[in-house]
Amino acid sequence: MDEITPDAGTVMVVDDEDMVVDAIQGFLELETDHLVLPFTSPRAALEHLESEPVHAIVADLMMPDLDGVQFLSRARSMRPEATRILLTGYADKENAILAINEAGLYQYLEKPWDNDVLAFAIRNGVERSLLFRELTERMAELEAANDELAGLRQRWIQAFL
Amino acid sequence: MNEGGLGPTAREITQARLATLGMLVAGIAHELNTPLGALNSNHHVIERALLKLGEILEDEVVTPDELDEVRRVVRATESVLRTNGIAVERMVNLVRNLRNFGRPTTSEPRPVDLHEGIEGTLALLGHELKEIEVVRDFGELPLVVCHPNRINQVFMNLVHNAAQAMHDGGVLTIRTRAEGDHARVRVADTGRGIPRDVIEEIFEPGFTTKGERIGMGLGLAITLQIVHQHGGEISVESEPGRGTTFDVDLPLRPPTGPARKEASE
Ligand SMILES: Nc1ncnc2c1ncn2[C@@H]1O[C@H](COP(=O)(O)OP(=O)(O)OP(=O)(O)O)[C@@H](O)[C@H]1O
Ligand SMILES: [Mg+2]
Repeated sequence: MDEITPDAGTVMVVDDEDMVVDAIQGFLELETDHLVLPFTSPRAALEHLESEPVHAIVADLMMPDLDGVQFLSRARSMRPEATRILLTGYADKENAILAINEAGLYQYLEKPWDNDVLAFAIRNGVERSLLFRELTERMAELEAANDELAGLRQRWIQAFL
Repeated sequence: MNEGGLGPTAREITQARLATLGMLVAGIAHELNTPLGALNSNHHVIERALLKLGEILEDEVVTPDELDEVRRVVRATESVLRTNGIAVERMVNLVRNLRNFGRPTTSEPRPVDLHEGIEGTLALLGHELKEIEVVRDFGELPLVVCHPNRINQVFMNLVHNAAQAMHDGGVLTIRTRAEGDHARVRVADTGRGIPRDVIEEIFEPGFTTKGERIGMGLGLAITLQIVHQHGGEISVESEPGRGTTFDVDLPLRPPTGPARKEASE
């Protein structure tokens, strides 16, 4: 399999408004190499995350059924490595700031968003996600090595006792 | 009801009007934001797409690869334009629905289609109604002689309260009927309802159960005042836990000439 670069990577876009999802998808497909997964239902998006990882998630704050913060919090517990970006409407700043902690936000963007800023956030988000994965792998390796060392030490101690 | 009792003071009316204005502005901003966001993004995409096409067409020869790219760009642009069509339509509709909201208060009462005001209110409060099913049970209504923006304020207060009472979703029904020489507008919700021991107080200025940050307790006091100014009546029925129904009765034309001007003017 090809190495994924920050300029590619999978991006999930979730907004209950078709219009917004279409616009972001149209832009990303024309201007970037990201694979775009569009969703107008946060529940369907969560189901997808259940089976498939993604590198970055862009979600709207104001959605019926499940709002953006709730959605991203659940996404976080399922796929902590997926970078979370919140799109907020007019005057939602306060909620967005609260969400930074609750949903572990990487960034929030106000609507109407700027495509270049969005693309930049997504690109960095994917990069961050790739680093996160690498880090987790290294940590696992380290832990395994540590366990091995501990086992070795145990055996030595036993040998001297 | 506080019939003949103390109504809201001039200062409270101004305060409430500012609050309504705030609601109006927030509503418009919110409702415009989504189509605007899409248009803004798509505008940028089309700009870049044209630039790309221009670059490809610059040198007389177009390779098969480039042709594929041209096709891709054109397809993407078409889809973006379709979205723009929908966005523009949404904005046009919103503005159309708001026709009656901006009229100055001091104007004479005039014949008004109440359904327009109701639609405008629903369009403005759309972001509060996302999780609510809205049922329009509209009957045939003759034009009603009134101050449209004041009457719209009545609809706005009632719909706003209904939305606030249905945090977890529900059904909002707006029913209109002509009954003899008056029009009846019913705003019914399936929200939390009003406890029996406070229902007598809800029209009192300052009565609120929402806490100071959310409500000033002026919505219904102002509503009552506006309805009375038009020679109309408002009544309420509620069952705690099941919902609330407000009935607004307006004479088709005000009984004694033009409606009185309010204290703040
Ligand atoms: N549809 C409703 N369902 C349940 N309770 C309601 C409804 N409408 C009004 N009430 C009750 O009546 C009170 C007074 O309503 P009113 O609209 O006058 O003030 P408010 O909504 O609290 O504040 P404001 O309208 O100034 O923002 C509310 O606080 C609420 O307790
Ligand atoms: Mg109110």
